[in-house]
Amino acid sequence: MRLDLEAKSFGPRQVLGTLTLSVTRGERLAILGPSGIGKSTLLRILAGLDRQYQGQLQGAERLAMVFQEAVLLPWRDAVANITLPTGCDATTARDWLSEVGLEGHETKFPRQLSVGQQRRLALARAFAAGPDILLMDEPFASLDAATAARMLALTDALLNRTGAGAVLVTHDPAEARTLGALALHLGGCPARFQKD
Amino acid sequence: MTQTQNSRPSRPGLVPGVLSVLAMLVLWTLASQLTDRPQTLPAPWEVAARILRLASGGELWLNGGMTLFRVAASFALAMAAGMALGLWMGRSRAADHWLNPGLIILLNVPALVVIVLCYIWIGLNETAAILAVALNKIPVVTVMIREGTRALRPDLDDMACVFRMSPLTRLRHIVLPQLAPHIAGAARAGISLIWKIVLVVEFLGRSNGVGFKIHLLFSSFDVEGVLAWALAFVAVMLAIDLFLLRPAERRANRWRQDAA
Repeated sequence: MRLDLEAKSFGPRQVLGTLTLSVTRGERLAILGPSGIGKSTLLRILAGLDRQYQGQLQGAERLAMVFQEAVLLPWRDAVANITLPTGCDATTARDWLSEVGLEGHETKFPRQLSVGQQRRLALARAFAAGPDILLMDEPFASLDAATAARMLALTDALLNRTGAGAVLVTHDPAEARTLGALALHLGGCPARFQKD
Repeated sequence: MTQTQNSRPSRPGLVPGVLSVLAMLVLWTLASQLTDRPQTLPAPWEVAARILRLASGGELWLNGGMTLFRVAASFALAMAAGMALGLWMGRSRAADHWLNPGLIILLNVPALVVIVLCYIWIGLNETAAILAVALNKIPVVTVMIREGTRALRPDLDDMACVFRMSPLTRLRHIVLPQLAPHIAGAARAGISLIWKIVLVVEFLGRSNGVGFKIHLLFSSFDVEGVLAWALAFVAVMLAIDLFLLRPAERRANRWRQDAA
């Protein structure tokens, strides 16, 4: 997929300036920058969640997204939390649950899972969608260090296995290095990619 | 995983409810014994005997059944229309701007006016009766569902959008579960309002049903009969609330209480 962005504004305030971004299967990008610079806005444009911008988004890749929070359906069990959004069958959902280490938790509701388990369920859901490109919006930011490291390693392994591309939004360069992602720094006002 | 403590207070059971009903019966008995004219306030057992006579004669089932049918039909109509309108107005700002004045007018038109106009315009028939009741209830359901729709979680909307969930799946698995408390509230508030309006509709223009019987008894000032019909039907509506609506509400809210 390829984004040619000319500008993105909220009211009179221009947040993002001219920038180009392209990613395909197997490629990993990390968008870095301080809080409030427009990283998440850029990811929302890529995800098709924000269409109020000037520019062009091309590509027919299958997308999946991991959000800052787990964003699960509290009224459905773990398996249904994968089958309903992705449309996959229950067997595939169970396979992905065991892939992220949640075997035995299939019939539990999100509230019965710890925060770390909820995040792994969200990761399983994203991969069960069979994405060409996985979009991640600071998925490890609110986790403790040990859980974040485990999640990062798990994400890396699953990306390797499925061959999916990834766009990671983060403020932590170490996460980008661990995932082996090409780091793009957002800076300035309106924000553009900065040369290192 | 964290262990949550069960801090819910123990349930009081049926004792307070039964005691308060008994207290009301005692009060009624005392008042009926103290009054000079027994026909203005008959004793509870006289009313109970009348209910038994009505039930054994079959009259209660025929007229009660007709009233119940009208309650069910107008309830279904009001809930369906109110939910569709409420969802639409909660989701679309434009729809809300256009429909809100009409909604406010309908909320403030007296029930009696709607009933009379329906009978005049449509005729003294079942359609007019059911429509008149539903029209009285639709605005209330619409407002409750609209407020619920405005409070829907945007993050779940984003998730559904990224994963390209179909509109029907979204409605069923994302929107309706979030609206469940509002729907249950509208249903329970609605059913009691609806049966009261059904009685007025029957009083004014039907030839059967509890409201029609009360009309007849009113012309002969038969308080015992009025109380017998009213209490018999209150019992039916309480049973519906206890055995149908509350269990449905509990089932819809089950996931909230399932924390380990």
